[in-house]
Formats: sequence, C-alpha cells, structure tokens
Amino acid sequence: MRGKFKAALAVMLAPLALPAAASEGTRIQVTGEIIDTWCYYSGVMGGPDAVVGSAHHTCALWCSAGGIPVGLLAEDGTVYMVLKIEQDAGSASGDTQLSLAAHTVTADGMLYERDGLNYLVVSEVISDMDIVNTTHEDYGTVPPFSFPDPNK
Amino acid sequence: MRKLLTLLAFVASPLTAQDFSEGSEAKTWNLYAEVPARFEATVVDVLCELTGDCPANCGDGARQLGLVRTADDVLVLPMKNSQPAFTGAAEELLPFCAQVIEVDGLMIEDEDLAANNIYLVQRIKAGDADWIKANTWTKKWAKKYPEAKGKGPWFRRDPRIREVTEREGYLGLGTEADAAYAAENF
Repeated sequence: MRGKFKAALAVMLAPLALPAAASEGTRIQVTGEIIDTWCYYSGVMGGPDAVVGSAHHTCALWCSAGGIPVGLLAEDGTVYMVLKIEQDAGSASGDTQLSLAAHTVTADGMLYERDGLNYLVVSEVISDMDIVNTTHEDYGTVPPFSFPDPNK
Repeated sequence: MRKLLTLLAFVASPLTAQDFSEGSEAKTWNLYAEVPARFEATVVDVLCELTGDCPANCGDGARQLGLVRTADDVLVLPMKNSQPAFTGAAEELLPFCAQVIEVDGLMIEDEDLAANNIYLVQRIKAGDADWIKANTWTKKWAKKYPEAKGKGPWFRRDPRIREVTEREGYLGLGTEADAAYAAENF
C-alpha cells in the first residue's frame, strides 16, 4: 500500500521537478515557412492554410514590420517563435525577419520550450528557398485589400 | 491517508488551468479562441528570459517582450496591441521593462493549432497609475518615420515595406507575377 502511495506521489510531483524557466536549449535543424504568427493563431484573416505563402505575403510584411512576432511553420505543423536570426536579435520589427517574410528556409539553431510554446534562436539560415508556397492560386490575396486595385 | 490526500490536492492545484477572466473589461475581437484575461505579470525580454542574453532595457524595443504571470510563473507571449492595424505589443510594454504590471486583454487558446499563452494586450496598469490603453504603436511609428507622413494607414506608407513590395511585388513572386494576377483579378 505504501508503495502505491509513493508511486502516486511520484507521478504527481514529476511535472514540478522541471524548473519553470528551463533554459536548456536543444540544437535543431528545421525547414519551414517564416509566417505571421498573429494571423496564423488568431484566425482573424481566415484559416491557417490561407495565411501563409504568396496569398499572405504582403500582410506578413505588415505584421512583421508592425512588430508582431514571426514564426517558422515547420513541415510537420509545429510553429517555432523566432527570437533571433543569426546576428540580428530584432524579433520585433527587425530587418532580417522582414526580408524573409513568407520565405521557406532551413534553419539551424537552438530550441527553447516554455509553457506550451516553442522558441527558436536561429544561428544560421542554411538555405533560403524564397516563396515556394503559391497560395494565391487558391485563396487570392489575404486579406484581399493587401493587393491594391491598380485601377484606383 | 487524509494527510496524503491533502498533500496531493495541494500539489495538483498549480497544474490545473486557471481562469483569469475575473474583472476583465477586455473588448471582444470575435476571434474563435479568444478568452478575456486580466492578470499581474512581470515584463521580460523573452530572449533574455530563455537564454541569458540580456541587454539593457529589454533590448530597447528591438526584441519581443513577454509577461511572466505572478500567479503561476507562466510566460505569456503578447503578440498584439489593441490597434486593429497589424501592430505588435512590444512597444506598449517596453516602458515597463522588468516591472510588475497588470494587463487586460484577450488570451488565445486553440488546441488545434497548439496556440498556448498567446495574448492581445488592450490596457496596462502600473502600480497606482490609471489604466492606459495599449494603442501607441502607430504614434511611435509616425515619430520614427516623419518622411512617410501622408494619407492612408501606416502600412501603405512604411518605407521598408514599400521597398520590398516594389522589388518583389505584393505576392512576393516578382512584378511579372503581380501583373498577371492584376490582369486576372481586377
């Protein structure tokens, strides 16, 4: 009986053994698209498939320049919040992240997990494939006004 | 046995999801996964918090800032300020770097997208001061880019955005792709 109590206690206490501010990073290499995380997570512009790629390129520029965090959406659907790209720690409206809006890249860096989110510190962009996700063919531009009417 | 159950209950309590909606006056954005949330937190530089790379004044506005919630030590990531203008939250929180403040806004919790502890901050209260609105981003942008003064929203006039769209097009696929899209859709 005492053994069962000990086992139950161990199960309950196990999650608390992890420090709240665990700073042990894990080196990873990941391929995915540099996305606008607010539109992706909030659904404010539509479903997640519509707020990536060429359909959302201009809006991704707006949000990145506006200081909204950018993420790397990996091929398996995992989102990594990007905190630094090589020497540029400008994660709020920084130049490097702006230049990569909607691009698909392979990044090498350190992964930090905290409270349900993945944070990525990119040490090197190994390859930049530019925009390969031509979502405008299916969704037009999202939002539609991100492509101004040339007749006006 | 009773002591053990009491201990287990105590241990389990921090692990259960907490409701931070009490007292919130957050306005809805009609988002699928929004939940009003008002809580006390410390403003932190997220990169510093996770890696120990800690410049002065939380990076002076270059970096994303986080909110470490007093009640449970959870790191909340504020992505948005209260302006419906493609604008983030870091500029709003920077004056309160390393301070304990109270915030009110909308939490986004969407299991399908693994959205956890993501936040839209609408107002901020520091100490005994009155609540202030988290809506200063566009004014700060206008101060930074006086040469971009003009009609229309900031994102149509921003020099960096204009430079990219003039070079790569609105679709990001080049000006020829833009011309083909315009011919087909307008």
